[in-house]
Amino acid sequence: MQAHQRFQVIDVPMAADAEATLPALVEAVKHALSNGRQAEIVERGEAARKAFAEGKARTRAAAALGWDASPISTARLCMELYATIRDLDWSLVASEGNVSNWPNRLWPIDKYHQWLGRSGGYGVGYGAPASVGAALANRDLGRFSVSIQSDGDLMYAPGVLWTAAKHKIPLLAVMHNNRAYHQEVMHVQRLSNFRNRPVNLGGDMGPVGTSIQNPDIEYHKLAESMGWWAKGPIKDPAQLGPALKEAARVVQAGQPALLNVWTQPR
Amino acid sequence: MMIGRWPFIVLFALAANAVGGGALAADGSAEKGKIAYVKHGCWQCHGFAAQGGIAGPKLAPDPMPLVALTSFVRNTRGAMPPYQDAILSNADLADIHAWLASLPKATDFRSIPLLNP
Ligand code: HEC
Repeated sequence: MQAHQRFQVIDVPMAADAEATLPALVEAVKHALSNGRQAEIVERGEAARKAFAEGKARTRAAAALGWDASPISTARLCMELYATIRDLDWSLVASEGNVSNWPNRLWPIDKYHQWLGRSGGYGVGYGAPASVGAALANRDLGRFSVSIQSDGDLMYAPGVLWTAAKHKIPLLAVMHNNRAYHQEVMHVQRLSNFRNRPVNLGGDMGPVGTSIQNPDIEYHKLAESMGWWAKGPIKDPAQLGPALKEAARVVQAGQPALLNVWTQPR
Repeated sequence: MMIGRWPFIVLFALAANAVGGGALAADGSAEKGKIAYVKHGCWQCHGFAAQGGIAGPKLAPDPMPLVALTSFVRNTRGAMPPYQDAILSNADLADIHAWLASLPKATDFRSIPLLNP
């Protein structure tokens, strides 16, 4: 407890970047190991690999549930997307949590630049501007930027779409459009239950003030109006793969593209 | 963790059923259950296809027995908010259960190319 959040006493002050130093550190540790220790690690590695493979099979089985559902399942969304980008030098430039973490669970992510990470706080409205910023950095490195763009998130700073078009920042924004500020949908349901009150749906699916329906926002038109190539709403999972391929070609030609996809809540 | 909780849920459910008499009889309507599942917000955390995800586990195919489901929904003190009968009737729960039980078996992931890259 005494040490909690205190700076630690250090022997060698060495401000360094993890990406640059970790490989060298791993090699140094391997070198310093005794032979007995090395054999132990090999054995442990085998057990871990087996457990990892079993875990992956369970995750894939979970992803198969609701595979053909409409609105489109978040697992399907993520795997159709992965099939589209897998042969490119891709970079996921937004959070992945709202889609049940499927990219982290199912995409092989083995390069530093393949995932930007999360906002660091509870980043409301973070996704769109963060994606455009990262896509700008990726553009000059020749990387293919892709974001899973939540609908509620896009309501905070939609003007960033114009910035991307204006500065010709290639970005494939695939919408996870569950037609709600869904975190709030669940929160209000939770609190209503605790107070033993039925939620007021007000003609929508989620509690009043949390849904983004009636009217449904045509995000593809919003994006188009700001200079993006855009298409939607896509509700049939069979149409998603072809639409993704079309959009990816636009992005490879140097433009931002958005697909408005109606999805399951999480 | 989930398996460890089962004996408790089932015992509790059996006790509740004995007190509640035939109120939990499994004669629900899948058709009405599909509507009740949406109206009561189960879809928010468990998905419209009851497929589950980060906000709640899958509920189907192969749902837990109605008595266990009822006991869980009424008494949970974990991550899911409980539903008392003031906001969700036993009849609606039986319908929801009937709908869950009517959902088809999952597709084998090995037969889905996108899940075998
Ligand atoms: C606000 C989110 C939320 C809502 C709304 C919700 N659930 Fe849940 N549910 C959860 C979570 C999270 C769990 C896992 C809880 C745990 O393990 O303690 C869960 C667990 C369950 C389980 C136990 C599953 C298992 O295999 O252990 C059942 C049954 C269930 N929910 C049914 C329902 C039904 C029926 C409704 C609608 C009347 C509903 N839930 C609404 C979040 C929710």
